[in-house]
Amino acid sequence: MKSRPNLYTNYAKETAIFSNNTQKFWFFVLLLLSISLCFVATDYWILLISRSLAFSIGAWGINIVSGLAGQITLAHGSFIGIGVYTAAVLGGVASNSVWGLELDMLIWLPVAGIVAALFSFILSPIAVRLKGLNLALVTLAFLFICSHIFSNFISVTGGAGIGRKSAKLTLLGVNLEEGLLVGNYFLQKNQILYFICLFSCITMGFGFKNLVRSRAGRAYAGIRDGDIAAEALGVNLFRYKASAFALASFYAGVGGSLASTISGGIEPGFFNLLFSILAVAIIVIGGAGTVLGPLFGAFFYVMMPGFIQYILKITHLTESALPLNLGQIEAMLFGLCIILFLIFEPRGLWGIWFRLRNYFKAWPFSY
Amino acid sequence: MTLFLQATVEGLSLAAIYSLVALGFVLIYKSMDVLSFAQPALAVVGAGLISSLAVDRGIPFWISLIIGITLTGVIGLIVERTFLRPMVGEPVFSVAILTIGIDILLRTTLDNWIGLNPRYMGDPFPTFGNFGSTQIGGVTIKFLEIAGLSTAILIIISLNIFFRVSKYGVAMRATSFDQEAALAQGINVGRIFGLVWFIAGILAAFAGFFITGGFNTLSQTSFVVALRALPAVVIGGLDSIPGAVVGSIIIGLTQAYVAYYQYEFEILTGITLGNGFSLVAPYIIMFLILVFKPDGLFGTKEVERV
Repeated sequence: MKSRPNLYTNYAKETAIFSNNTQKFWFFVLLLLSISLCFVATDYWILLISRSLAFSIGAWGINIVSGLAGQITLAHGSFIGIGVYTAAVLGGVASNSVWGLELDMLIWLPVAGIVAALFSFILSPIAVRLKGLNLALVTLAFLFICSHIFSNFISVTGGAGIGRKSAKLTLLGVNLEEGLLVGNYFLQKNQILYFICLFSCITMGFGFKNLVRSRAGRAYAGIRDGDIAAEALGVNLFRYKASAFALASFYAGVGGSLASTISGGIEPGFFNLLFSILAVAIIVIGGAGTVLGPLFGAFFYVMMPGFIQYILKITHLTESALPLNLGQIEAMLFGLCIILFLIFEPRGLWGIWFRLRNYFKAWPFSY
Repeated sequence: MTLFLQATVEGLSLAAIYSLVALGFVLIYKSMDVLSFAQPALAVVGAGLISSLAVDRGIPFWISLIIGITLTGVIGLIVERTFLRPMVGEPVFSVAILTIGIDILLRTTLDNWIGLNPRYMGDPFPTFGNFGSTQIGGVTIKFLEIAGLSTAILIIISLNIFFRVSKYGVAMRATSFDQEAALAQGINVGRIFGLVWFIAGILAAFAGFFITGGFNTLSQTSFVVALRALPAVVIGGLDSIPGAVVGSIIIGLTQAYVAYYQYEFEILTGITLGNGFSLVAPYIIMFLILVFKPDGLFGTKEVERV
């Protein structure tokens, strides 16, 4: 038995988080690598990786609604925004124009998720009645209404074009804004943020993996594959659709508030239609419905500017020599990726990874 | 009363623009079951083409208008051929996301060309009358609005005739009714899809011109106006041409009335609705209508089978 890792003798074993020792091994190798990376890499890359980790939490969120439960939402950006502003009000510093309570991170991080989840219940009675394109359009309307509120609720968001500072980094009563001295080693703020993001990302990732293999996860898959059939089999549509939206918003709130803390400040105009499309695009590129897909997609999206700049550096090209500026190149590449992945590899980056892995698993035999 | 008439006139002219974009949405949805988010991008690309021909190249405006609109139709045709043809039979939403990708590509190219300064269309409308507008009984009407309204009405009538009388129009109706049966009757469905995108591109370009013409100018945010045709389509029902027109009128009038009466309402009730509420009002109406009538006012009810 031991020499046949792919032979599953019971269901529990097949659905285990790590179904064989190889996966366990590589997970710990990756974990060690990512921890040690923090002490090797430059600030620029540490920030980029932390951002990708925070983005992937948000991407897991939309993966619950769109990938698992098959309900397409264009309002994910709004829920991220709600989470961000909850965190900013609870953890941020008050000024003449905006509220701020300067609470501990242990409070604002989960509460940001919970508040976003509570707001998602506005959508749930509608989500039950509608599906497919009509649901996507309702969420689109929700998005526009939300972004209108964001730009006008000045005491929370700072107002359109101005914005506000995001939540402060205070963990267990210790102010981490200026870094922290651990023994003889001075941990910088970026490194602390990186560890917080890594920890949250792993926790939320395991949460997602557990959700997939739970009763709720199977119910979501049932709704995705045929909601009427699922209902006939006894799946409570209202409960599961509402809970899918709520869980997704929780992830959105947590991921968003982390990402906003990394960037330091937030402007309400950021949470526009493009941002929500971005959320959908990340899981389309990464691979919808898979556990690793959103992680791949988020890393792909956040790292892309870094790599474009790296390529420009090694080819000795300056930005002015190009017909498009960097932001536009990014947008073009992103649009192209959406189109090409949908046409040629609908399973996204995860699909490529899957085939690559299977090729090396069977190497040197092609079957 | 003058205020009311003024709001009505502006609402109707907005409705004309929306109905042009909305018709494109509906035509594509009816024939291919695809909700094309690329429609607003096509509208601004059309405006950009006209502007680049008329202002940058110095070609007489009316000629560049015709060339620009035709070229936009051709872009629609190319988009269908290259990106959407491989996606036939894929889930509706994958294709919708794909059109978002197309939208990003088209708009980024256009934004790069527009740059920071807004572009003029080079049209003669601002030179007519008093800075392009005239007074009728205290109501200020722009010539561009009159042109937009009459063009929209003309296009809607001619499209109707086209669908009833011409061979391709009937073939289109057959295709939207049942693709396979249409194929069996010898209709070249692929060509019909191309034609639909061509027409949708032309309609979008007309709308793009009326959005950006005169003093309105083309900027990087012009596409948002065309995007507001989406609530119009949804209110009317995604697969209904009269619905698209009615929806556009509802949306256009709402937007205009809210814009004109928001201030009075706020003073009367003490509730602040915020800046630019008139631009969100269409989405609120769409939200409400979808909650109570998921298929829109005129849309066909979807029959579900397990």
